Amino acid sequence: MSKLTSFLRERLPVDRAKLRELTNEPVPHHLKHGWFCLGGTPAYRFVVMIVTGILLAFYYEATPTRAWESVRTISEDVAYGWFLRSIHRWAATLMVAAVVLHQMRIFFTDAYRRPRELNWLIGMGLLHCTLGAGFTGYSLVYEQLSYWGATVAANLTDNVPWIGALLRRLLLGGDEYNAHTLSRFFVLHGAILPVTMIGLIVLHVTLIRLHGIAELRFKADQNSAPRFFDFFPDHLLTELAIGLVLMLLLGVLASLFPVPIGPRVDPLLTPDVIKPEWFFYVAFRWLKLFSERAAFASLGAIVVVMAAWPFIDGFIRRRRPGSEASVFVGIVAVLAIVGLTVWEALVAH
Amino acid sequence: MTHDPTAAQVTLAPTVPARRSFFARLAGFAMFASLVASYGTFAVMAGRFLLPTHSRRKAWRRVAEIGSFQPATTRTVVAPSGERIVVARCAINGASTPATVTVDDFVALSSTCPHLGCQVTFEPQHQRFFCPCHNGTFAPDGRATGGPPFEAGQSLPRYPLDLRANLLYIEVPLDGVAG
Ligand code: HEM
Ligand code: FES
Repeated sequence: MSKLTSFLRERLPVDRAKLRELTNEPVPHHLKHGWFCLGGTPAYRFVVMIVTGILLAFYYEATPTRAWESVRTISEDVAYGWFLRSIHRWAATLMVAAVVLHQMRIFFTDAYRRPRELNWLIGMGLLHCTLGAGFTGYSLVYEQLSYWGATVAANLTDNVPWIGALLRRLLLGGDEYNAHTLSRFFVLHGAILPVTMIGLIVLHVTLIRLHGIAELRFKADQNSAPRFFDFFPDHLLTELAIGLVLMLLLGVLASLFPVPIGPRVDPLLTPDVIKPEWFFYVAFRWLKLFSERAAFASLGAIVVVMAAWPFIDGFIRRRRPGSEASVFVGIVAVLAIVGLTVWEALVAH
Repeated sequence: MTHDPTAAQVTLAPTVPARRSFFARLAGFAMFASLVASYGTFAVMAGRFLLPTHSRRKAWRRVAEIGSFQPATTRTVVAPSGERIVVARCAINGASTPATVTVDDFVALSSTCPHLGCQVTFEPQHQRFFCPCHNGTFAPDGRATGGPPFEAGQSLPRYPLDLRANLLYIEVPLDGVAG
């Protein structure tokens, strides 16, 4: 035993005390409340996505003639295919929800403020990669709704200033949806976006470690000294417990509501009722309200303002210290998002 | 690391002749330039590789001999890509002989919505085309009457037609994911 230990010690020259110090981030006390542990949830989902995604890729075929058929095979012929597919889809849904909730909690607890602006930007990158992975992933199924959603979204990239037309051609691999399009979506979905996300997550966590988790005081303990607890093992155990609950939730959702497969693509017929995935309802409703250019420009402006918010907020508070602008902006944004989503969900057209 | 950079400078500086440092700099610059050039070349190649080479292939097909294509009637053409295209000859106001027929007397409306590319369907009960994607509507002649295409003043696109020696031709796509 001790021989093995000394063998390993020599090959892996890590100082135990240092390692302990490095991993043992003091965790502020408010992380005892579940609402503040939302950041770990998408990370956990991400691992589930990678594992199930790699498994699905064993059977998936990214060509127009075979794509729908191969997803049908996964769902109906391969052992536990329906379960893995449903886990992949449900985890994606919950991941988007968790990312959005995590971002809301960061916003309303002011955790994006100086000096953490960069991490907010990285978080915006992660949000977009997650939405992009959800979009390209759904396109892979090659059912009617996913095909028309992809067509609409690809045509929308035409509006990007200067490089829009080029971007659209690059994305589609031609002038419109064609035989090369699905493999491009697949490469984005299974390689480019996940690898980018791994990089962003590493940066995100590194910055969190460098700054420490933003400390937050509740009214009740405002006067006491700041309280911290150990990351290891206390917080790790909390996260593990959360992980177990999430796995259970995913298993139950996938078993009770397995993901169906819709009708195969018909490029000559747009179905009468067409909806994207729920997390695009906001943008979809927006597109119906304005002309193409106006809708795209306003959505783009909203995203830019969102990304730049820590700096805008800093500017406002330097001008008018104690301003509550961010709370009002946040509430209006949440109401608008919820309102547009519910509106789109309730009507057929 | 116990290496002290200032110590190194102190001992090295007087022994390095100015000329060598010039060549060292030149070598450094050359190395940097070749790195940029080689990675740049690679990036250009990769970009070219990803850029689609062909646009959608198209060809002219014959629709009909205009003598047999009466005013105010339609013909249906099925393109090799699978699209069913309705070609219409407009009604004549006043007298007209085949000699005065021009290509403008015919229309072939595309069913692809000018907004973001969904397929419109004709609703006979409303006498309009309807796009289910963002509720665009079009008059039978293709003008937008509602929804985002109307806001942007777009109409349903038309297939190119040509009239040669009393024969009507249409330019249709040869391939698509449907075919
Ligand atoms: C980064 C996080 C990811 C997200 C948010 C995500 C999301 C999705 C979604 C929403 C679908 C459609 C599911 C359905 O209706 O069946 C899908 C399908 C698919 N994904 Fe992912 N995915 C992710 C990562 C991955 C990875 C890493 C791979 C591995 C290469 C992968 C491989 C696939 C395959 C092969 C399909 C098509 C088969 C099917 O639909 O069942 N995914 N993905
Ligand atoms: S694609 Fe027809 S209205 Fe948007």
